[in-house]
Amino acid sequence: MTLFDVVFKGNDAVYGLTESAINDAVAKYGEEKAVGFPDTAYCLPCYYSVTGVKVTNLKELKEALGVVKTLMTREQKLNDAFMSGVATALCAEFIEALKYIDGAAPYAEPYYGHLADAIIRELGVPLVTGDIPGVAVILGKAPTAEDAVALVKSYQAQGILVTMVGECIDQCQSLGLNMGYGVRVVPLGADVTSVIHVVSVALRAALIFGNVEPGDSASLMKYTMERVPAFVNAFAPLNEVIVACGAGAIALGFPVITNEETFRVPKSLIVQPDVSKFNATSLEARDIKIKITKIDIPVAFASAYEGEIVRRGDMQVEFDGSRVDCFELVHHKDMSEVEDHHFELIGPDFDEFPVGSKQSIGYIVEVAGKNMQADFEPVFERKFHSYINCIEGVMHTGQRDMIRIRISKATYEAGFRAKDLAEVLYARIKSEFDAVVDKCQVKIYTKAEDCTKLRHEMAIPMFDKRDERLSSLTDETVDVYYSCIMCQAFSPSHVCVVTPERLGLCGAVSWFDAKATNELDPAGPCQVITKERPINEEIGEYEDVNEAVRKFSQGALEDVSLYSIMEKPMTSCGCFECICGIEPFSNGVIITNREYAGMTPLGMTFSELASMTGGGVQTPGFMGHGKHFIASKKFMKAEGGVERIVWMPKELKDTVAEKLNATAKEVYGIDNFTDMIGDETIATDPETLVAFLTEKGHPALGMDPLM
Amino acid sequence: MSEEFRLTDLEEMEAATERLLETGAKVGADSWQLRVKNQTPHCKFGEKGICCRICAMGPCRVTPKAPRGICGCDAAGIVGRNYLKFTAGGGATHSDHGREICRTLYESSADGAYKVKDPEKLKRIAGEWGVETEGKDIYDLAHEMAEKALMEYGKPFGTQNWIKRAPEHTQEIWHREEIAPRAIDREVASSLHMTHMGCSSKPEALIRQSLRMGLADGWGGSMCGTEFSDVLFGTPKPVDTEANLGVMVEENVNIVVHGHDPSLSEMVCEYADDPEMIAYAKSKGAKGITVSGVCCTSNEVAMRRGVPMAGNFLQQENVVLTGACELIVVDVQCIFPALGPLSKCFHTKFVTTSPIAQMPDSEFIRFSAKTAAENAKSIVKMAIDNFENRKPELVHIPQMKQKATVGYSVEALVKVLDGVCNTQVDTMGTTKPLIECITSGVIRGAVAMVGCNNPKIRPDKAHIELMKKLIANDIVIVASGCSAQAAAKAGLMDKRAKDLCGAGLKRVCELADIPPVLHMGSCVDISRMMILVAELAKDSGLKISQLPVVGCAPEWMSEKAVSIGNYVVATGIDTFLGVDPYASGSEEVEKLLTGGIRDWVEAAYTVETDIEKLVDKMIERIEEKRTAIGI
Repeated sequence: MTLFDVVFKGNDAVYGLTESAINDAVAKYGEEKAVGFPDTAYCLPCYYSVTGVKVTNLKELKEALGVVKTLMTREQKLNDAFMSGVATALCAEFIEALKYIDGAAPYAEPYYGHLADAIIRELGVPLVTGDIPGVAVILGKAPTAEDAVALVKSYQAQGILVTMVGECIDQCQSLGLNMGYGVRVVPLGADVTSVIHVVSVALRAALIFGNVEPGDSASLMKYTMERVPAFVNAFAPLNEVIVACGAGAIALGFPVITNEETFRVPKSLIVQPDVSKFNATSLEARDIKIKITKIDIPVAFASAYEGEIVRRGDMQVEFDGSRVDCFELVHHKDMSEVEDHHFELIGPDFDEFPVGSKQSIGYIVEVAGKNMQADFEPVFERKFHSYINCIEGVMHTGQRDMIRIRISKATYEAGFRAKDLAEVLYARIKSEFDAVVDKCQVKIYTKAEDCTKLRHEMAIPMFDKRDERLSSLTDETVDVYYSCIMCQAFSPSHVCVVTPERLGLCGAVSWFDAKATNELDPAGPCQVITKERPINEEIGEYEDVNEAVRKFSQGALEDVSLYSIMEKPMTSCGCFECICGIEPFSNGVIITNREYAGMTPLGMTFSELASMTGGGVQTPGFMGHGKHFIASKKFMKAEGGVERIVWMPKELKDTVAEKLNATAKEVYGIDNFTDMIGDETIATDPETLVAFLTEKGHPALGMDPLM
Repeated sequence: MSEEFRLTDLEEMEAATERLLETGAKVGADSWQLRVKNQTPHCKFGEKGICCRICAMGPCRVTPKAPRGICGCDAAGIVGRNYLKFTAGGGATHSDHGREICRTLYESSADGAYKVKDPEKLKRIAGEWGVETEGKDIYDLAHEMAEKALMEYGKPFGTQNWIKRAPEHTQEIWHREEIAPRAIDREVASSLHMTHMGCSSKPEALIRQSLRMGLADGWGGSMCGTEFSDVLFGTPKPVDTEANLGVMVEENVNIVVHGHDPSLSEMVCEYADDPEMIAYAKSKGAKGITVSGVCCTSNEVAMRRGVPMAGNFLQQENVVLTGACELIVVDVQCIFPALGPLSKCFHTKFVTTSPIAQMPDSEFIRFSAKTAAENAKSIVKMAIDNFENRKPELVHIPQMKQKATVGYSVEALVKVLDGVCNTQVDTMGTTKPLIECITSGVIRGAVAMVGCNNPKIRPDKAHIELMKKLIANDIVIVASGCSAQAAAKAGLMDKRAKDLCGAGLKRVCELADIPPVLHMGSCVDISRMMILVAELAKDSGLKISQLPVVGCAPEWMSEKAVSIGNYVVATGIDTFLGVDPYASGSEEVEKLLTGGIRDWVEAAYTVETDIEKLVDKMIERIEEKRTAIGI
């Protein structure tokens, strides 16, 4: 039997199963029964991406199956095998969709099943920056449970997102491997069809970030092949169904590595009998480069641990800035004042603290370098959160003097002490900012009295000074803005224009960050944009900016305004933190954020709203942005500014309240502006919202119509 | 944003030619298009190969009424003899080109015009031939190897050194069938001896010798030409260039190199790049110097230097018709004597350089390895001096060109294949990745597209249309000679042509970063293709004849092409011709060529003048071969 015949056979088998499953469902529920997955705006995502048609009920699902059948041609050509692979994947999606009928929750711990749109949007930035260098799909049963765990851990240590299907999950569970999205190990399901849930992620990424038109399957496959660094590890024995699914994966550009002796296709179907070499073989097959982050500490250091949570019961010691005095600080000094790689612990080490106790900590990273500038200090400092979180068994939240760090018992028992914390900070700063940091030393203070003194006498004054400088920094007071195309690996035509009052829409790149990035890597993703030739300062349109945008979007974008969401709004890549959209009944806008899965008064969830924009296209009336932009005086300034905001999810509102209220006070003289803004506890429909706004006398109601 | 990619179609190319012919008409120039009319219809006896004029009793031509010549030779004998003579002509030509290269290698020196640019390759060949390389000066080795290679032309005993590169099984066939080539010159002489009046008239004997003559070319003289050209001028590796008349630059001094032997063209390119010459060109009112090429000498310098290709065989007159060609310098083979009179209609200088190819109405600058540098310099200078004589009213360069990535020697291909290997599982330096693509069905097979243009076929149509259909069917193409240039002109050597392929070949092109039609060089370089199939057979454990690989010369015209056909078939590769090799006059010979020889060498010819059918037959044969080995 030829390789293609195996694919065809597997495809036929899955098609048969799907056909009867759909028929059974129709018999049981009737044709009008709704089908779909939760928390996605792209139902059914794979079928929608490939064909451009949304399937919402069983009748449409049956029609869709007819379309799938047309893909199942049987010539001995790769195209036929690819299409049959795609057909197999679509059948799998149909089977999986049936499991969700009537809002059922077919997947229970540890399985995840379908993954929400929000997760994909969250993955955008780390995939682009290489923090998640790849996505592994592990399928089947490893020769031994130890092999399975070793493989998963090897990827985890590289920051690769691992998804699993089938018996390898049981194997990992049997050895007590900690699994879950937080540690980047996602068990999808037991059935082979559950693999579609990761395929669905890749295809939605193409729609969300790539602006691929649903139904344009050629562009879809080009996008996944060139931009989604996924690969498959399929354990022997491979049956026809797995081979057919594999053909689908390869069609999308994802190589399959297996330990079964079978046909070989360079860079696509690779036979590696030694499963301990799956990792190296896979990375090479998918051209994935791992940033070397080997740091000499007793526990692992990898981005996979970034989302790990250390629970109270597992905690050896906690440093809690909300209760006692803590702080973290980068301070730049003269070259003569810093001794490279010097570490000083002033106070007791971790082993002198009672188990489970709350302590004070203050750490100062002192840097020196010929090209170092004071402006870089906060840029480095913001990275501490990520650095410390990447340590296995260490959790870090907050920033400045509002930090909380927990160290797990396991990590402590492995020998992790203060010097290791210093080592991580040292190693990361030196490797990431080697262009400006020539020398770096770390001081850690653990005596409560030192921490109190330094916090109030040194840290807070420095923070205040920086804030002062930052708040005096406006779009008008700087000479240049910066472009940021960090996302172009994923969203090829998107360009962010970063200004002091408008940070990148991912929320991760401030004007200072962009400036530092530019100075650290002058040919890199952030380029200087001059602002010498204004066209319309009211909406923030400049000839220089337009030229830059045209250049960096390779001609995809003509012109943008910085302060309007109606006229030539800035584009969105897809990884934005928030999205705002106009709410016509109140003349205002609502804002919703990625974390909020619920409904908005526009009748759409974050996912649905986000699906309308993104991919680097301009969508007047809708705009992706970062959280911190909400309180900016430049937030939709052209349309009247922040007083247009009429609704936000409660949690978001609370987060931005202080700053937003300050802006409203300063610009309009309104006190406690956020009290006038609706949230989901008040209204999720326009009528109730308008009633609430009227009652509160919200200023938007009296403003000019937006449209 | 990159400009949109699209192939140049035949109609556009023909419209450009029409426009140039208008200029020609203005100045009263002759053209091949006119001469074809004058020569049509062709002599039927000649076409069928049944005209015999090897002795002075004739000419004899056989008909049903007069089935034998005066000596009693029948159609099979006459056709067979003509076929062998034709082959000998081609084999001698290629091999003599190879010999010249060996002589140039012999003249190479550390401070001379010719240097050894690929010493590693020289050492590798020396190793194969059992020559000690340790501690030897590279030029001493070069001279020793040159002498050894020259001996291959006249060795009194034994067979060609190069045949040891073939798989065991192939070598066994050659010895079993008594077609293992002996000294190259001997095979030429024996062929001419056999075809003398009163020698062989038995078709089997004549065709068998044709195969041996062919092998003496492909696994002898041509291989010398290719391999030692690489040693001298560097082994080709992928390089970007452009093709079609639009590569000529109106503001520049245009020098066109034409012919086959790179010894001359390499030197011309060298001096055209010389800052002193460029400055001189500027002093004469030009912006610079553009060297472009026609025919196989163009392929040689394109493969090694990225020098653009102005066109292939039937475009040689067009370069002059642009009115912007200051000088066309030729070495040997496939040069229209028409260029002499044509150049007189323009300011163009037509320079012949080889005692082998001397023509009326040309300026003869005798080129030799010893005086190469000064020869080349004086040629470039002559072109620059001629710039001012241009007649601006006659200047028209069709603005038509395509990008091409060329330079796929076997060594370069293996390197490309290494690029898709996985070092965790694969061994580097083999053709195995290609074999895996073939056995898995991702690529269905490969076709070696070679050969010339021939006015009997709408120029380039067969090349381009066949290639388009083959790549759409996931069949990869290696091309050489004028076939390769047709592909380049059309745009098929642009990597973006991957989008015209079936899903399988497209994916391979993407992963390996190659165009779907791979330029392997000049017609002499078909020896590279022989090495490639030999490696594929060795790496796969299959016989060459089992590989889903065929050869095709759809528009061939020269004696060399028949010689090539013979060695390709004799190597075990089925070969498809779009033009009949003057053999239709004898059913017996025809049957032998298209069937009988399969019993000897496991391959045979297919002649099909209907191009559409020709391609379908190739695809069919490739699929048959797949089925036969169960892939």
